[in-house]
Amino acid sequence: MSTKEPTTCLSEVGSSNQLETNNSNYVSHVKKLLHRRMLVGISDGRFFLGTFYCIDKQGNIILQDAVEYRSTRRSAPSPMEQRVLGIILIPSSCRKTCHVDSSIEEQLSLTSLEEQNS
Amino acid sequence: MVDVSEAVKGDSKVPICPSIPSGEQTVWANASSLLHLACNDLRDGELIYGENFNLFAAMSALEIMDPKMDSGMVRTYYSVDEAIEYGAAPIPLSLDKTVDVQRIIDIMDHLLSCEATWHKGCSLAQTVFSCLYLLRPDRTSSHALLHSYCRVMRATCNAVVCTVSDTRTNEEEDLFTMTHGLPLKVDGDDKCLTMLHAVEETIARQLRACKATLSKKRVTEDIEPLQNNPDLEEGLCKSLLCQLRFRKHFYHVVMNIKRPQGRGLELAKKHIACCFEELDSMIKSADFLRSISAPEDGMKNETTASGCQPVGFDSTLNSRLSAPTPPRAIETISWKKAAEYFQKLLHELEIICSYNLDTVFEGLLRFVVEFQKLRPELVARAHLQHLLVQDGKLYGRDSVFSVICKASLLPEVAKNHDIQKIEPVVQLGQLLITLLRVLCTNISWQRRKLGKILQDWRIIHVQLELAFRKECGDISATSSNENICIKICRHILIWVEEQTYWIASRFLMLGFELDLYSPSEYCMVYWYMYIILIKLAEKTHMRAMTSNDISKKKGKKKRDLVKEGGKDYQLPPAILFLQCHVYLAEGLTMMLAALRNERQMYVSTGPFNTEHERFVQHFELLLKACLPDHVSYYSFVETTAHAHLSNAAMYNCFKGAQRIAKELRSSFSNDPDKMAELRRIEQVAEHNSVALGLISRLGAVDASLKVQFEFSHHPFFATAVVKRS
Repeated sequence: MSTKEPTTCLSEVGSSNQLETNNSNYVSHVKKLLHRRMLVGISDGRFFLGTFYCIDKQGNIILQDAVEYRSTRRSAPSPMEQRVLGIILIPSSCRKTCHVDSSIEEQLSLTSLEEQNS
Repeated sequence: MVDVSEAVKGDSKVPICPSIPSGEQTVWANASSLLHLACNDLRDGELIYGENFNLFAAMSALEIMDPKMDSGMVRTYYSVDEAIEYGAAPIPLSLDKTVDVQRIIDIMDHLLSCEATWHKGCSLAQTVFSCLYLLRPDRTSSHALLHSYCRVMRATCNAVVCTVSDTRTNEEEDLFTMTHGLPLKVDGDDKCLTMLHAVEETIARQLRACKATLSKKRVTEDIEPLQNNPDLEEGLCKSLLCQLRFRKHFYHVVMNIKRPQGRGLELAKKHIACCFEELDSMIKSADFLRSISAPEDGMKNETTASGCQPVGFDSTLNSRLSAPTPPRAIETISWKKAAEYFQKLLHELEIICSYNLDTVFEGLLRFVVEFQKLRPELVARAHLQHLLVQDGKLYGRDSVFSVICKASLLPEVAKNHDIQKIEPVVQLGQLLITLLRVLCTNISWQRRKLGKILQDWRIIHVQLELAFRKECGDISATSSNENICIKICRHILIWVEEQTYWIASRFLMLGFELDLYSPSEYCMVYWYMYIILIKLAEKTHMRAMTSNDISKKKGKKKRDLVKEGGKDYQLPPAILFLQCHVYLAEGLTMMLAALRNERQMYVSTGPFNTEHERFVQHFELLLKACLPDHVSYYSFVETTAHAHLSNAAMYNCFKGAQRIAKELRSSFSNDPDKMAELRRIEQVAEHNSVALGLISRLGAVDASLKVQFEFSHHPFFATAVVKRS
């Protein structure tokens, strides 16, 4: 996907400012995850931990106060290096995993979704 | 999007990072599917976001995996240690001793290229410290040659970083001093010379032994050769020696040149001479190195003399260290260009070392202006500034107030006067230091800053005047036995004004060097230069007169003083020198105005803004600072509206400049810079008066006559070239 896409999508926020509320249960569920801690793994092996800030239709995620974690070795287990990045946009094309910090009950409901989906 | 489903599928294979703990009593729950389903339900352009969402902040998010924004992208290796484990930086570089030496020379060459690239404004992390050997100081200890070279390299970089960050010349290129996370200061690097010396000694002995064998002399000492191939021994020894010696001398240069009060300049100069020699040998040995190696064809930017790709460098590993700036793709300059850069740098440092620490402020300013004509880069300029301003004193030696007193032509006793303690005088001192600093920055930054500090100089003049009145009473009263306090006040006030006009003139002149003026604007620029230069000459003259205690000058109209000067009263050479510039500026103003008025050439009309607007754009900072008072666009229009080619005044300007320049030769015969400037003035004046004659004679009959203005004889006074089209 082009790198421009997320920007274009974001810029439309003002115009199509959700004139009518979205009735999807999934969407309202994701809304509840906003401001929670989210851990995203990407294709080159790095992980980003930050506050869930925004997601668009294409699945691009914005995290606030994000910290980057990276292994210092190709082979696991490996020591991790970390650094603070601030606000970041993770394109859906490079996202490999996505976890939220949640209670056990919530985990169960998410897992059932996972099973339905697969 | 397809990618999301792919991510879901791949999810089970990628483990969650085990070392990142979730919160207390909570777990990491997989949300990929939920996100995927929610995204499907979103309408085009719809987002899920909370109340605190700020689009502006969201737009500035760093985009992960964008090579221009994401400095953390994992490229070849995950870390320096992994790179080393995979054999990216072997020690020794080869088990074959000959190859080992060749590869080390390649590393040295590439480091030189990296160092030059760094000096030219890239980050240290991406240039010099792309060398894996430098990044792990202990690893090299088993290899004396490599180890000593790495040490001196780090120590040199550290010394240069210190100078540049002390002087804060890097305001313009703030990447330069970013060293966070780099092993720049390593224990033992300060003693790098001892080790380097020992290694150099060994190789020198190996070279001697090799020469002795070649000339069939008996070898007195039994020395193991540098490497195994006797045919290459001499060449490789020589190549290594000049590399090591260059490093040694260059380190001495950067350490000595920054010793306080210029005490190390003489020594630094000697080492510069040695650096030149060794650099020369390095360039000469390039042919030999090329001939014995197999350079890869088509390598377009060779960073080594041999043409081989160096071992042990990876600039991507460190790009994270160059944060907070995005990782820029950089190109290391070629070895040849690097060698040229160092020659230029050494030449500039040599000029600094040869400077006599002039105690006359005007001399100092002239030196800096001349130095800047070489377009020195950051490192050279930082060293100049380091020499000029140390501990808030000129050359770390003369207090600012004593410099001001001397510049204001006050007697020696003045510099201990208590008046230096009053607030505005202290501030004036700070302004002076700032001015010196600004003059050492690159010319575009410098021009911007000069424009801004003009106002400060204007304000300080008013404040000084008020403060002096309070301290000493009426300072304008002229009495023959005035006290020292009044004398100091008067002198300083005149000097401050003169200095302000000097800054204004430098501001205008730099516009030419930076190509900021278009030919249709030359007329207004020269007009402004003309009025500023007149003021400058007037203030300079006043200062000279005040010190000579000629107090009756007050009655005379200031402007006439300079203009009629040549006739009835012999002006000092310094004033006449300025007068030449005044004449040229006036002549060019009138010539351009006449061409515009009569022949519609260089008419200042553009599609975007009026002449008035451009006038304001160019001179806004001068106008704001009231330099000089009561000047506006309309004064320019008024002066130039009636300029005609038939008017003899402008011929007289050029003739006047020519005449004075000729006369002045004898006064400046021992000042080569001024002599050169006089020659330039003469040439410009002569060419322009000839061109003017041509235009007015032929112009009326030959409509195809074209007039162009070129800077062939002087950097900012144009020469008119008349052509038939």
